Amino acid sequence: MSCRAVMLLRANPQLFSFRNSAFPKALQPNKRFYAAKYSLEPPDVTGLAEKTRISLTPKQVEEFAPKIRQVVDWFGLLQAVDLQSIEPALRADTEGDNLRDDVPRVFDNRDAIIAAVPNYEDSYIKVPKVLNKE
Amino acid sequence: MLSSAQTPRLLRSPAALTFKCLHTSPILTPASTSPSPSQILTNRKALLSRQTSAVDLAKSFLQRLRRHEPQISSFLYVSPDDIVLKQAEELDNRIKNNEEVGPLAGVLVGVKDNICTRDMPSTAGSRILENYRPPFDATAVRKLREMGAIIIGKTNLDEFGMGSTTEGSAYQVTANPWDLSRVPGGSSGGSAAAVSARQCTVALGSDTGGSVRQPASFCGVVGLKPTYGRVSRYGLVAYASSLDVIGCFGSSVADAGLLLNSISGFDNFDATSSKQEVPDYASQFVPLDYLESKPLKGLRVGVIHETLGNGVDSEVVSSVRSAISHLEELGCTVSEVSLPSFSLGLPAYYILASSESSSNLSRYDGVRYGNQVFGEELKSLYGDSRAEGLGSEVKMRILMGTYALSAGYYDAYYKRAQQVRTIIRNSFKDALDKNDILISPAAPSVAYKIGEKKNDPLAMYSGDIMTVNVNLAGLPALVLPCGYDGGSAGMPVGIQMIGAAFDEEKLLKIGHIFEQTLEGYSFIPPLVADE
Repeated sequence: MSCRAVMLLRANPQLFSFRNSAFPKALQPNKRFYAAKYSLEPPDVTGLAEKTRISLTPKQVEEFAPKIRQVVDWFGLLQAVDLQSIEPALRADTEGDNLRDDVPRVFDNRDAIIAAVPNYEDSYIKVPKVLNKE
Repeated sequence: MLSSAQTPRLLRSPAALTFKCLHTSPILTPASTSPSPSQILTNRKALLSRQTSAVDLAKSFLQRLRRHEPQISSFLYVSPDDIVLKQAEELDNRIKNNEEVGPLAGVLVGVKDNICTRDMPSTAGSRILENYRPPFDATAVRKLREMGAIIIGKTNLDEFGMGSTTEGSAYQVTANPWDLSRVPGGSSGGSAAAVSARQCTVALGSDTGGSVRQPASFCGVVGLKPTYGRVSRYGLVAYASSLDVIGCFGSSVADAGLLLNSISGFDNFDATSSKQEVPDYASQFVPLDYLESKPLKGLRVGVIHETLGNGVDSEVVSSVRSAISHLEELGCTVSEVSLPSFSLGLPAYYILASSESSSNLSRYDGVRYGNQVFGEELKSLYGDSRAEGLGSEVKMRILMGTYALSAGYYDAYYKRAQQVRTIIRNSFKDALDKNDILISPAAPSVAYKIGEKKNDPLAMYSGDIMTVNVNLAGLPALVLPCGYDGGSAGMPVGIQMIGAAFDEEKLLKIGHIFEQTLEGYSFIPPLVADE
């Protein structure tokens, strides 16, 4: 089903045609530069599932792959923007870090933490054997 | 100037300062009541003058909640009646003994289920945390309790805050009280619907990319997203830590502001919380009688050009333009502002949010809390617990986020998104140096039908275009209802006002005056209006 909000992203040439001379220079595309620098393989959903420790069935891989591909292609819009000399922002930086002193404090409700553990025995959190790969 | 084609109406005397909106809902009669300035203050006055009791107030809310809950399904957990009434009774005793009571005494509050409450389950809308009871209250919840509020229950949400419809909840779908076949918005759809249906007075939500503001618009209530760092995130289940904030819902600007008053402030447990002093937000809610004829004279309002073009529903544009005329009538100087980087915010947001969520959600491994699927080896315990406990949208975002952070892709995606964040932050700062507030719709459309966008991720993501940039810049924003879509459903439309960092005072002042002078609306859904 078509979505009017997607139309908003596509409709105005200024939004997506970065060659428009009215577009700030810092945001003009530099496709040749970026195509050479990044050759991006599409997502390997099975490999990613392994990395993220989520067991996916082959049917789920088949279902997710095109959707993920579609979204990642859309992420690729940012490749066309010249971002040289722009510093990356870790967060909004509305204020600097407010770190507290590294002094340990006792938490008053240990029992509730332990009560939440699914598999707890004799003061140990129980997990299956961890197998080492040779 | 951005006035609508219609001639601005002349104002009557300052004592009767109102603005007749150009669009009226076919459902509400023009003679309906003016908006109540504050349900919190109205109830407080009634309590302290013994016109009503906290027990009677709590009973009426509980009855209304249970009456509408089968249709709306806004709550995942409702506090047992005896616990709620016991707290109300204790308050009545304190009032009877002329003891001091907190500013939120007797106020029934809904809390989004991704905010930890010690005595109630906190599932974040996910099966992986089914029946999980946190060992602590979130700081915001602790503060509410200290102020005398009564938590009536935990509200529904898209799983882990990932979604814009509340259909992503692992438990139930919440319906929009204005039209039960439509979504309430998300991810804080349960909180928005609960306040809209008057099941509670105010509610807490969370806003990472619009999750308070968009459902506020869809449900015809006020939604307030504070500056990043204004409210402690301790006890908020982390989705994207550089973007998450706890936000406020109310049926009026004053109620949302009074709620913010109670939960703001520095917290040792949140290193990103701000030490900036919290002003008394309550002082912004001046009664109408005390206002001059142009109470917002001199205020500079910038309308974001890129938000009123193609792709935005014509009825939304029309309602927002009408609201702009109203602001001009109140004395504002309105001009157009262009933010050329606006459209980059959406892909940048989804890269950052997915990436950060892939890290934040790695803790849900079935070992220390939550549901576990026991396996022969550790890897399958992790894999199967997460496979069974996490929903599809959550899994997809974790996979996409992991991809964007992988070696070889980090520079291409995550780092570039952070650079876009810098550009957007700077462009908003420049615009807000020249304007007091910026204006846009809260969403490109009114609430759509349940199921309409369920299988189309990009269609759902694109609805966030009005809201994500504000999270990237860390700024505060207020959404309040300004009109209807004029169709037979009469769905509410919300306008978004964006302020400079820590300038919630100005937003609340402008929002309150706008709301109180908007004649002809009470923004009560038909489900509740007839009671």
